[in-house]
Amino acid sequence: MTQLVLFNLFNGLIIGAFYALMALGLSLILNLSGVINFAHGGFLAIGGYLAYMLMPQIGFWGALAVAPILTALIGIAAERLFIRRVYGRDPLYSLLLTFGLAFMIEDGTRFIWGASTVPFAVPSYLSSSLSNEFFFLTGYRVFMVALVIAAVAALFLILGQTRLGMRIRAGTLDLETVSVLGINVRILRNVNFGLGIYLAGLAGVLAAGMLGLQPTIGSSLIMPSFVAIIVGGLGSLPGTLLGGLLIGAASGVVTVFYPSASEAVIYVMMALVLLVRPHGLLGEEGRF
Amino acid sequence: MKSSKSPHSTSRRQIIKGAAAAGLAQIASPFVWSARAADNVKFGLDNPLTGVYAELGKNEQIGCELAIAEINAKGGILGRQVELLVEDSTSADTGTAVQKGRKLIERDKVDFLLGNVNSAMAIALGDLSNELKTLQIVTGGHTDSVTGTDCHWNVFRVCNTTRMETNAVAKTLFDKYGKKWYFITPDYAFGHTLQQGFEASLKEFGGTELGADLSPLGTTDYSAYLIKAQAANPDVIILLQAGDDAVNVLKQAVQFGLDKKFHIAGAQQELEVLNGLPPNARIGTWVFEWYWKQPGVPHLDEFVSAIRKRTGGKVPTARHWFGHVAVWSCALVANQEKTLDAVKLAKALENFKLPPEVALMPNDPFYRAGDHQLMPSLYVGEAMEHGAEPEDLFHVSQVVKGTDAALPVADTGCHLKWPT
Repeated sequence: MTQLVLFNLFNGLIIGAFYALMALGLSLILNLSGVINFAHGGFLAIGGYLAYMLMPQIGFWGALAVAPILTALIGIAAERLFIRRVYGRDPLYSLLLTFGLAFMIEDGTRFIWGASTVPFAVPSYLSSSLSNEFFFLTGYRVFMVALVIAAVAALFLILGQTRLGMRIRAGTLDLETVSVLGINVRILRNVNFGLGIYLAGLAGVLAAGMLGLQPTIGSSLIMPSFVAIIVGGLGSLPGTLLGGLLIGAASGVVTVFYPSASEAVIYVMMALVLLVRPHGLLGEEGRF
Repeated sequence: MKSSKSPHSTSRRQIIKGAAAAGLAQIASPFVWSARAADNVKFGLDNPLTGVYAELGKNEQIGCELAIAEINAKGGILGRQVELLVEDSTSADTGTAVQKGRKLIERDKVDFLLGNVNSAMAIALGDLSNELKTLQIVTGGHTDSVTGTDCHWNVFRVCNTTRMETNAVAKTLFDKYGKKWYFITPDYAFGHTLQQGFEASLKEFGGTELGADLSPLGTTDYSAYLIKAQAANPDVIILLQAGDDAVNVLKQAVQFGLDKKFHIAGAQQELEVLNGLPPNARIGTWVFEWYWKQPGVPHLDEFVSAIRKRTGGKVPTARHWFGHVAVWSCALVANQEKTLDAVKLAKALENFKLPPEVALMPNDPFYRAGDHQLMPSLYVGEAMEHGAEPEDLFHVSQVVKGTDAALPVADTGCHLKWPT
């Protein structure tokens, strides 16, 4: 039993890392622009489908490199065309806009690639277990975690060490002052949105290798990502990462004892965190 | 001191409200409208067009549309043209399905109600159509009680009961692959009744159930379930998921290499699922309810090519066949009886045998009197990586007669109460 719990805990952390990747993109956009991006799941699906489309030409690795960039470009265009117009308004506007955008993307992918699940195969050397005992450690999962770690490290490096990152962080704290200091806030938000959508696109390619790729793939993953943000604490990227890992682990462990509650447990966890620590585990008190 | 928050910051409450709205989005649905004429004979299809069952619902609709076109080309029903009204029931919100069903019957005055893929909705719509005395054909909801304890005089079903499916394959699994089974079951009526069916067979054969876990509908990550199943060391892991859930669980089981250690099997399998799987994950022993390649079955090729024309070249699945059979059954019996009266048509449908051009399978399928369940053939076999043709992904090893797989009427719990 202990072994089973440990297996599941470990496995939960792997899944949690994936939720965290998606939640980080959401969090990045939310922190700077105040937009709750409901279309994030849609962009995730676009990432997966673009990779599916590109794979016959440039292979899995090529698709993994290119598809998230293309998704980010689509995200940047969407920001310029739609999202930008609702900055500064009541958050309800951005909520409704991204909500509608999510439907448009879902139906758009259905129109282009069909409602059926499409077969997305990862290279065979990735899709087998690394060890007999730890059979759930497949090459793909280990690779996924490694990539998530690399992506998170790169993101924190960008935010911590580059001029762009500094501006994003400053904008998150006080956008008005950043604007007064002569920084083009429009471009800053645009690039930041693209960065968030890049993470969604990356999550999309990774998800397609593990799950069935169909137009609703994003909507089934977006809720745990929101929960990760709330549990981890709004405004805190490390919190989002922690939230993702925690809900993944909790879901895994609960499956051992009471499998049918494996999804419900993350919402129970969210409720508990909101009751005990309303600003989330690592959220900044008073910020939101 | 002024707080340093961003001018457009968002409150936690708004996020939570937003998250709730995202949940609501799952049940929101588009409005489907089609042109209609007052004197047409109307079929109302209340089926999922959005959500996890969207594809299955859509395929049933294509089957219905083909049947409608064929019937109109042959003179319609009682000399009147036939039309199909379609409503999106959603995949998971039974309240919406019932509301749409009521609209179809009361406002649009449909003569026949068709649907639903979701078992719970099929039951709820059966209650509704019974209350409103409308003939209904259940196109794709498999749970036993539709033609069992929840049966009605006006409700007929084209697809199999879950018990028929488990009975068709259980003996093969037991004899060929072993007597220790582990279940991973979707947590709703369909999954529960499938598991009960297998458990009954296992008990009868003297096998052992090593464990059973319920997975919520729409589960994306099955690794925790697969870890438990592996730890139990069974002979056969029975996966009872359908649709996208089935794609997810099979894909992950193969990535974990479980197919190398255990036999993977289940009851119902569909071409939609196998098409969505990478070739190496097309594994296991299953039951198909209808298959597009059946050598020697008359009229099959015409049906396959007619569906191909409507699907951009894709072959028909069991779902296309369900829709096609459902509409044709109503039309045939209405023209035979020269009436649209629901009671008379329901009486006439009892023991009604499908003609070969509609049956498209061996063993003369018929609607059994007593529970109104179609008695078709069931196809037991193995999923294949590749067949002779791109969409030939299932090897049929045995065709089982519906009458051999179904429980006797007396054991179904169905007691039909006819209107007086």
